[in-house]
Amino acid sequence: MAEPTAIEKPRGLSSRWRGLGLSLRTVGLVLLVVLIYAYGWRATKIDVYQLVTGLPNMRHILAGLVQPDLLVQMTELVAVEAPLRVGAGPKDASISGTTGARVVVTPRSVQPGEQVVFEGTGFPPNTEGRLLLGHQTARPRPITQIRTDVSGSFREAFVWPSFAEDEYYVRVETQTALNRWAPSEALALSLEKIIETVLLALMGTSMGVVLSVPLSFLGARNLMRGSAAGMAIYYLVRTFFNITRSIEVLIIAVIMAVVVGIGPFAGVMALVFHSIGAMGKLYSEAIESIDHGPIEAITATGATRLQVVRYGVIPQVIPQFVSFTMYRWDINVRMSTVIGLVGGGGIGYLLIQYINLLQWRQAGTAIWLIAAVVMAMDYASAVIRERIV
Amino acid sequence: MLRIEHLTKQYPGGTQALDDLSLEVADGEFVVVVGLSGAGKSTLLRCINRLVEPTSGKIFLDDVEVTACSGPEIRKMRRRIGMIFQQFNLIGRASVRTNVMAGRLGHTDPWRSLVGIFPAADHERAQANLARVGIADKAQQRADTLSGGQQQRVGIARALMQEPTLMLADEPVASLDPATSHSVLRYLEEINREDGMTVICSLHFLSLARRYATRVIALKDGRLVFDGLPAEIDESRFREIYGQDALDVEIT
Repeated sequence: MAEPTAIEKPRGLSSRWRGLGLSLRTVGLVLLVVLIYAYGWRATKIDVYQLVTGLPNMRHILAGLVQPDLLVQMTELVAVEAPLRVGAGPKDASISGTTGARVVVTPRSVQPGEQVVFEGTGFPPNTEGRLLLGHQTARPRPITQIRTDVSGSFREAFVWPSFAEDEYYVRVETQTALNRWAPSEALALSLEKIIETVLLALMGTSMGVVLSVPLSFLGARNLMRGSAAGMAIYYLVRTFFNITRSIEVLIIAVIMAVVVGIGPFAGVMALVFHSIGAMGKLYSEAIESIDHGPIEAITATGATRLQVVRYGVIPQVIPQFVSFTMYRWDINVRMSTVIGLVGGGGIGYLLIQYINLLQWRQAGTAIWLIAAVVMAMDYASAVIRERIV
Repeated sequence: MLRIEHLTKQYPGGTQALDDLSLEVADGEFVVVVGLSGAGKSTLLRCINRLVEPTSGKIFLDDVEVTACSGPEIRKMRRRIGMIFQQFNLIGRASVRTNVMAGRLGHTDPWRSLVGIFPAADHERAQANLARVGIADKAQQRADTLSGGQQQRVGIARALMQEPTLMLADEPVASLDPATSHSVLRYLEEINREDGMTVICSLHFLSLARRYATRVIALKDGRLVFDGLPAEIDESRFREIYGQDALDVEIT
């Protein structure tokens, strides 16, 4: 490198830099850092211009967030069906319907080219509606729009076109918006999935606790030192913690989705795997930081090792264990919202579907719900931790 | 009777805590161990119940070789030796009763005790021991809500649960004020006189040693430099133990 020459030749270029309080080593270091950042800027393709010009592309998702699909207005459907025969038959009027809405079809049997009149009474006033033609083998298909007058009546007349002779029926329906609102399908689905998400985090965290707590005692240096076998177990457990901790949840979720199939179970397994390492390490460190005095005192009473742990160690670490566990659950809830993106179940799975289908308002619903639940969990875990510690 | 023969302890790192120490303690004595910090007092006490492993030497308790015990034998031997500590070493978050019950662990079925079940007789014993040190009414309180003196009395009650024949006290009053120190030491004195329990207690203040000990031993750099009656420690002895610049501070 360049420094040795600088030391050997105190005069020359380097001495001028020394006058500024800079050694060649410092200059080299600064240059190196500048190079790394310059390359990093290029390698990661940072493009401020693109960021600014691309911002309008966010409008869909922003619009979805501003107008999430939360509620739908409930409507009242009024429908009356009346038989209509195409072909020869009686020419009198058929009257159908209940005491409320009625439909009169004149004549009840129509030949192509003949005029047919549909009259309705007792429908909601000033309302748009549809007139449909149905057959027992097919769903009714709309023929024309209708609109009721102030008294809730309408009249439609037209010449019947060429049509296969058979027994048909006409259906008149109007829909009126009510002043009642119901949760939208997206909201109901998101709610169901967010509950699944929280439960996913709960199951993952709980199983992680069950597995990592016993291990954490074996991974605490202060409990395991004293024998070669103990230290061997200690290093083994700590290595296991480090491995499980260092593999990201999303990567494990992808692998687990292959093993057990796409769905929340894969997500649970991913959380368990990662949580064992993450919590085990924290638990072990909590055990290592306890006061040694009570351990000594319990040992001095002639207690067995297990009794020492039960009466000297556990009471000291419980508050921290609870605190760490709540914190981990909190993290896992956040984690499980994205686990779905890679097939681990939960609301993330729903969200990615909405985004792929460009259903921005529905995506907005899911995002708002995630935000609400994560904040609630954050708050709840803080309150519980504060109360216990 | 406790017999210590050529006890030596060298810690990893080279600290020589005890250096060829031999000692005999008869039943019923109240032995106070004095000496500067680092003189080896704590190490001596902890070698007796093998919280610290001696490097060499032998310790006999009633002709059982403590230093030769292994595994379950050590635990059996420890049951007979109560111990109290400078920092009390209680579980602060646990109740006083739970702390006292912990003293009974060596006598309890290990598996039952893991779920916290103790025989009724032990509960009565705990209550009696708490009453003996004058804090029967504190049984349900959290240990860390008690004053220092009260916590040390919980420590004594815990040690009494073992029904030991020997009580080790490692600087039991070093964290307490003078008045409280006396109240704690008086309980030890009472146990010593009424139950005939041997007490080996390390203390910082010579005045307290003079007041409570039936015999004083002094350690300096892991060696026994004095062994005799409290009254025999005069000015020159004192300087020998504590160094030329030391002043005897009276605790009344």
